Amino acid sequence: MKRRTFLQLSGMTAASALLAGCQSKNEKLIPYLIPPDEGVTPGKATYYASSCTACPAGCGIVVRVSEGRAKKIEGNPGHPVNRGRLCARGQAIVQELYHPDRVAQPLKRVGPRGSGGFQKITWAEALGLLTANLKELQRNGPDRLAMMTPQLSGSLSALVDRFMRSYGSPHHLSYELLAPDWLRRATRTSFGQPGLPYYDLAETRYLLSFGADFVESHLSPVQYGNAFGRMRQERDTVRGHFTYVGGRMSLTAASADRWMPVRPGSEGALALGMVRLILAEARYDKAALAAHNLKAELLLDHLKGFDLAKVADLAGLSKESVAEVAREFATTRPSLAMAGEGLAFQTNGRESVRAVHLLNLVTGNLNRSGGVYPAGASDGPEHSFAELPALVEKMRTGGIKLALIKGDLRHSIPPATGFQEALDKVPFIVSFSTLLDDTALHADLILPDHAALESWGDVIPRGGLRQTVYGLIQPVVTPLHDTRQFGDVLLAAASELGGAVSEVLPWKSCRELVRETAGRRLATARGGDFETLWVELLRRGGGFDTGTGPGTTYRWVAAAKLPTPDLPAFAGDEVQFPLHLQLFSSTAFHDGRGAPLPWLQQLPDPMSTVVWDSWIEINPKTAASLGISQGDLVEVTSPRSTLRLPAVLYPGIRPDLVAIPLGQGHKGAGRYAKDRGVNPLELLVLPEGSEQAWNATRVRVTRISGKGDLVTAGHPQGSYRSDLIGI
Amino acid sequence: MEKLTSPYKWGMVIDLDRCTGCGACVVACQAENNVGICDKKEISEGRGMHWLRIERYWVGEYPDVRVRFLPVMCQHCQDAPCEPVCPVYASYHNPDGLNGQVYNRCVGTRYCGNNCPYAVRVFNFYQHEWPKPLDSQLSPDITVRSRGVMEKCTFCIQRIRRAKEEAKEEGRQVRDGEVQPACAQTCPSEAMVFGNLADPRSRVSILSRSPRRFQLLEHLGTHPSVFYLKGGGREHV
Repeated sequence: MKRRTFLQLSGMTAASALLAGCQSKNEKLIPYLIPPDEGVTPGKATYYASSCTACPAGCGIVVRVSEGRAKKIEGNPGHPVNRGRLCARGQAIVQELYHPDRVAQPLKRVGPRGSGGFQKITWAEALGLLTANLKELQRNGPDRLAMMTPQLSGSLSALVDRFMRSYGSPHHLSYELLAPDWLRRATRTSFGQPGLPYYDLAETRYLLSFGADFVESHLSPVQYGNAFGRMRQERDTVRGHFTYVGGRMSLTAASADRWMPVRPGSEGALALGMVRLILAEARYDKAALAAHNLKAELLLDHLKGFDLAKVADLAGLSKESVAEVAREFATTRPSLAMAGEGLAFQTNGRESVRAVHLLNLVTGNLNRSGGVYPAGASDGPEHSFAELPALVEKMRTGGIKLALIKGDLRHSIPPATGFQEALDKVPFIVSFSTLLDDTALHADLILPDHAALESWGDVIPRGGLRQTVYGLIQPVVTPLHDTRQFGDVLLAAASELGGAVSEVLPWKSCRELVRETAGRRLATARGGDFETLWVELLRRGGGFDTGTGPGTTYRWVAAAKLPTPDLPAFAGDEVQFPLHLQLFSSTAFHDGRGAPLPWLQQLPDPMSTVVWDSWIEINPKTAASLGISQGDLVEVTSPRSTLRLPAVLYPGIRPDLVAIPLGQGHKGAGRYAKDRGVNPLELLVLPEGSEQAWNATRVRVTRISGKGDLVTAGHPQGSYRSDLIGI
Repeated sequence: MEKLTSPYKWGMVIDLDRCTGCGACVVACQAENNVGICDKKEISEGRGMHWLRIERYWVGEYPDVRVRFLPVMCQHCQDAPCEPVCPVYASYHNPDGLNGQVYNRCVGTRYCGNNCPYAVRVFNFYQHEWPKPLDSQLSPDITVRSRGVMEKCTFCIQRIRRAKEEAKEEGRQVRDGEVQPACAQTCPSEAMVFGNLADPRSRVSILSRSPRRFQLLEHLGTHPSVFYLKGGGREHV
């Protein structure tokens, strides 16, 4: 189709008009005298629908483009996940595109690794280097290639899989610090399928969150933030009640009606204690138990160790409050319980998550409106954290000769895994980072990726909805620098390699691949001319009505053991390291990918109002006993390492718990993130046999000086003068 | 001469029971309005530039502690304390009930900021930088303010203008929900509702009559155009 007809078709000024290709070189000079053939009318904005890549939730976005430049990102009102809404991180990805420190062309390392010395090279040279390495390895041991990426979805995931399989290497690590592998595995054990849950939050009357911080990071923050608003105030006579269970009052917990500051690691026992009480008082849903082939007597027998007194003691809560919440939860239906990172990142995490499954089951909240459903097409890696140590061992012993890394893994993998040292043993490292981040600084070759707003792609939103949602990513501006899309580089390499690799990867570009994938997924369902459908998909930002897939209910697996969370194990001696350490994902940085963007650095953390820094949250009583005041520089020592950072006196945290936000402490990643704050992952010790136990380390905190250089944006009077304004 | 009356009186309702304090509005505002990027030093001096901030209040002590969030932007007072003190009429009231700020009149006396009880006016103490190509993001609809100029929330007046022009072309009034500022558009929990208070049937009007409504520092008699709805039912402190 010609561009002219194309544009007539989609309509220049339509709210979500689109421009195919975006390949014109219009960024140098705006040709005022030429009619708006190239999609540029001075003063007239164009809007493109795409998908957000700031986290795996995959919200739909609409980007306002004016004079060929991306100006503002809004939520896509037609997208069922975020319904026109967007979070702070999504708003900020335009700064990822225009970041002043982006890698503008391929770089080759000069000087020792990590010194930051790089030499600019052309793409021809760079691709030559990459393919020469790949070809050599293909001859003498293709299994010595390792690929490391975030957890991908859609066509890019298929592309990488095919590439690795046809090349002959099993070493593809899909790593994300906060990936919900824990949830998928627990769900598989309980229900025989890994489907992530879709919570019907908007319709529930009683929400009980066990450490699930759905406002800042859990699964799909915008979707659940929106649903939360509707749960509270969208129904005429019902206002949904919200109870939060967790040792730290997170941003999510701040919106709760009741906060239960539970002892770390005892959440699973607490959930089972509630199940037992509900069963013993016959407040359970008999039909639900029968439907899942469970018997109340057998359950009660299994749970006899979880009587109220013992559970309350374990959790450090009063018996009355536990009983009250359990009764409210059982009698206010529909209700739903969420299990989140707060309890999952303990050594007993998986069983605790399953305890919450059981709680939803006995109250009849599975597979019902206002309860929990499996989300459509939400399968993904379940064992990436088990694969990590295996790969580390392989690298350490010289079994990996070439590593292709997308993402900043050096920053987001806890050093306790030995990953960083092992990676240093790999002779050739290729990074696809857009900034000189920690990983790129230690790479031998940097092949800079496009920013998301310059790329083609597709995304299956994680967590999503009951139906499968298919979101498209399309370029909204001409690429700014001499960069190439990660997928395109792989395709180019595949075609150079020839043989089996190029056979299974015949596409010339990601655009072609995405177009074909979209066609396969959606065209058959609708029929008709694909070209028209494709334009329509791009205009809308994806296909949103693909119906519910099979397996859309949760059914308790008959053979599944009933959940039995052990007592949590913690690294570090209780006397020497008296405080539990909790790492949390802040609303701005997620797992660290928001840190390079100045808007997010400047955004005051909603709870502590800290800007441009890391901090440690301490209960005021604990702080007083340690002689620490607000803003003091303190030293945090774990059995593994020591960090210095400023202290924040935080009334919403257990006295035996301290918390540090994730995401800062980059050694690179551009001027706004470099050497700012600390990376708390350095403190972690991972107890034997644990996988994602990010919260199972003990620490001690000592005061160093009064100069913590802490800056908070909070109004000095903000903390105590709420009486003035009557809330 | 056109009469200085208007069928519009823009206002906003913020439902604190929905607000989760996530900060999306803060970034959206900064992105829409070319608000400068302030470094740590600037903010430590109390010279941060956000037009919209989220106040956080701790209430009570552990374990019976809770948090209240309060998004605060210019309240667009009908009896605005900032207006009469400006010696150069940079701070003025427009016919739509908005509290406007004419940047190129401002000479930087900061009287207005001093007189504002809500502390929502921010002054450019420094020249702000957008290192290339970060400046490509700057919106062409709004000026980039230079050092020495007072600035503040405008309810995204550029969007209101656009909507009014479009409506005028079609010979109608701006429809309810047709225009909303960046903060209200992005708010994940739909806590912010913007609209015409002069129309008694608009959503914002209906909500502003809610029994949960209150206004900031009502007793000062500034008659703000922003209404808040109290969070309800948080009985356990």
